[in-house]
Parts: sequence; structure tokens; C-alpha cells
Amino acid sequence: MLEVAGLSAGYSGQDVVHGVDLTVADGEAVTVIGSNGAGKTTLFKAVCGLLAPSAGRVAFDGSDITAMPAHRIARLGLAYVPAERHLFPQMSVRENLALGAFPRSPDRGTLDSVLALFPQLGERLTQHAGTMSGGEQQMLAVGRALMSRPRLLMLDEPTTGLSPKLAQNAYDALATLHDDGTTLLVAEQQVPLALKLADRGYVVENGRVELEGTTDMLERNPEVRRAYLGVA
Amino acid sequence: MTAVILDGIVLGLQFGLLGVGLTLVYGLGGVLNLAHGQLAVVAAVVVTLVSDTGTAAGVAVAAGLLAAGVLGLLLDSTLMQPVYRQRGESRVLLGLLLTLGVAFMIDGFLIWRYPTRGLSLNIGGGAIPILGVRMRSGSLLASAISVVAGIGLVAFFRGSKLGRAVRSVIQDEEGARLVGVDPAAARRLIFVLSGVLAGLVAVTRSMTSPVTVTAGIDFTILALIVTVVGGLGSVLGAFLAGILLGIVNTVSSFYIGTYVTTIMLLLAAVLTIVFRPTGLLGRRT
Repeated sequence: MLEVAGLSAGYSGQDVVHGVDLTVADGEAVTVIGSNGAGKTTLFKAVCGLLAPSAGRVAFDGSDITAMPAHRIARLGLAYVPAERHLFPQMSVRENLALGAFPRSPDRGTLDSVLALFPQLGERLTQHAGTMSGGEQQMLAVGRALMSRPRLLMLDEPTTGLSPKLAQNAYDALATLHDDGTTLLVAEQQVPLALKLADRGYVVENGRVELEGTTDMLERNPEVRRAYLGVA
Repeated sequence: MTAVILDGIVLGLQFGLLGVGLTLVYGLGGVLNLAHGQLAVVAAVVVTLVSDTGTAAGVAVAAGLLAAGVLGLLLDSTLMQPVYRQRGESRVLLGLLLTLGVAFMIDGFLIWRYPTRGLSLNIGGGAIPILGVRMRSGSLLASAISVVAGIGLVAFFRGSKLGRAVRSVIQDEEGARLVGVDPAAARRLIFVLSGVLAGLVAVTRSMTSPVTVTAGIDFTILALIVTVVGGLGSVLGAFLAGILLGIVNTVSSFYIGTYVTTIMLLLAAVLTIVFRPTGLLGRRT
């Protein structure tokens, strides 16, 4: 579904991500783990078109989307939920969700399934997004992305600013989506949560893939255990 | 007093219509279009030129609005492109300089070619009493057009998919791109719309007083004041500010004198900047 080959990207001529290879198969949940500043966000932005890569190739569903503008990639069915969420603060929850379906009209079935996943959103349909709590905003950001019925859902650190309990709730929702067959690619610093959700993972440090494999394998890896799981 | 207030509202609706175009373009693209008033004057000149050929008034007005819209499209797709590539302050500054240049060029061309042109649309029919005040039918038609345009704009932005997409770019451009909205297309649409709205102001204005070829700068300054008072990117704010300023304008010119009206309007802008920097209904940042 997603094939990233030799991708390099960065800001003002300085690469932050160097030659990353990464694949996501249909129905898979894949995580990219690494510490703060490892290049996860830059990698994701380069994949979804917010940042022009300096080298490499990105293919989605077999078609080349390298350096395609972000709004066209979004319309192909690749939905990206950034860590800062980028909601529309002075629009209601309902309007935010409706825009998620753009350029199509929001359909009742998808809206109902999003509200079933996040019942709190249903109670706040007329509230402005900017006045909601961090946890609710995260639900809305994921809900808005789901309104497009994406073929691939990419999330950058969905637990940013959430309490441990809310972070767990967010991952429970992601697990439900995964069980329903949604393809997921999640960047995360909270490694235990991510490894529990995903089928496979990539460890990114200093803009390079240091390690990749099934999450079972990563959980047993002594380096991963020491650096990310806090186990001696 | 009632008559003065009613006249203020008539004028204010036109101010509102004038400010809407400017504030939307600024909210969306960060460009303060100093040639906004000139777009209105171009529409006025085109209406007179087409009318002179003996064409029906309705067709001439449509041609004028079209001309202003096409001019907006041209500006957006040529001169504004390098502006949009800039960020922050340099975008605002380059936009100001380029549109000011365009304003001078349009002014110069019109004064050279059509120095004596002026648009005056004479709306027939007698005076109609409103609240005991006899209002000219031209004033009433102009106000009706402004109100319909205002309601149409609010309906477009609140109720339509496209209007909502435009608002999404104003509120969070990156979020808009992520849901599949093309910010460049939204900017183009609004630039064209602002041209048409400027043209509509020239048309409604000419129903109550003549619009001369040199009126561009006055229109632009009024639009800037409306934008400051109403708040950036707010349709309702622009109309509210327009009506308020229209009343300030007529009251001060009736009770003090015409010479103070511009000072009073600028004072309203200054007071807004001091006490409510985001404007009446502007977005909080």
C-alpha cells in the first residue's frame, strides 16, 4: 500500500531524514518509534506532501506520489493526523468532521461510525473545536481523518499532551480501527503503547532506520528494551 | 435624526460590501489589496462604456462586474504568485507594495484615457416613505442589493461545502491541505469574488451619488477602515462595522460638517485598534 524508498528530507537544504526505506501492507499496523528529534515527524511530512523530499520515492497504492501537493495526496485516501492536530478552531465539531470528507459530502454511515468510536464527539457536535480539551481535540483530529474513509491513516504521536489514561484510550480506539481492517502507520515516543498496537515497527534514530522487524522481535531486542522500554 | 441614521445605514451597507472583499482576501492570502478600490472604479468605467453602446443597463452592469472579477483573477494568477511564496511579514510588505503599484497604474490609465467618465445610475420612481422618512428609490435599491449580497455571502460561507473549505484555509491552512482543500484554488476564488464585490459597490454607490475615475483611493481607504473595525476574515464583522461607520459618517457630517467625516472614521479605526485589536468579530489569534 505504501512504499517509501531512499527518502531524504529536511529544512532549508539540511536533511534531517536520510535514505529511509519503509513499507506498509494493506490492513497492517506499522509503528515508527524513536526519541524526540529522531526525524519521525519530518519523515511523515515528506510522505504526505507537506514537505518536498530532497531524494527518494514515495508510492501509494502503486502510484508515485513523491512531491505531489498535500491536498492531492489526501484526496487519494492517505489521511495524516499531525501531532499539532491542525483542527479548525472556530468551527463546530460537526463542521470539522464534515470537512474531513472534502471534497465529497459527509455521508451518514461514516459519521455514525466515527461517533460510535468517539461517543464524546457526538455530545459536542455544536461546540467549537478550539474550546475542547486536548483529549477531545485528539479524538476530533482522528475522527476528521476517518471521515474521508482513508485507505491509510498516518498518525504522528497521537498521545501528545494526553494523560496516561487518555493516551491509553486513544490507543484503544486505534486498536478498534485496526481490528476493523484500517491500515495504520503511527509515529510514537510512547513505545510500549505503540508496540502493543502494531504488527511491525521501525526504530528511527538520527534520521535513519536503525532497526526494523515484527513488534515481537523489537520487544525482545536488548537495545530497544534498554533505550525505549526502560528495562535494564 | 431618523433620516440621518437611515442614510447612515444605506451608506454603511455599501461600506460593508466594500470591506468584505478586502478582509476576505487578507484573511485568506495575507495580501492587503491596496488596488481594491480601483477594481471598483474599473467596473464603473466598464459599465459606462458598455452603456454608451446602447446596451441594456443590466447587461452593462454584468459586464462591469465581470471585468472586475477578471481583473482579480489576473492579479491573483500573475503578480500575487511571488507574494504567496513569501511568508509572514515579507508577504504582507510585498503584497502592499505590488498592489499599491497596481493601484497607481490603474489610476493613471483611467485618468489618461477616461478623465471625465463617471458612473451614475439613475433609478427611476419616486421617494418611498420608511419610518416616516422619504427615502430615494435609488438608496433603497442599493441597500437591498447590499443586503442580498451579504446574506448570500453568509449562506455561502456557512452552508456550502466550498464556502466551508475557504473558511478552513483562513483558520488553519495546513489543516485545510490535510483534508484535501487546495489553498491556492481557495485564494483564487476569493480574489475573483472580491473583484466582483468591489464592482457591485461601484454599481450600488452610483445609484445614490456619482462614482468618478479618481474614487479608487477613497474606496480603498474606506475598505481598510471597515476591515480594521470589523475584524479580519469576518463577513458579518465587515457588515456590522460598515453600518456602524456609515452612521458615524452621516451623523458627523450632518451635525458637525463634511470636513470631519474622514477624521471621525479614522478615529473609529484608532479606537478599535486600541481597545479591541481583533476588531468587532475578528478571529482571536
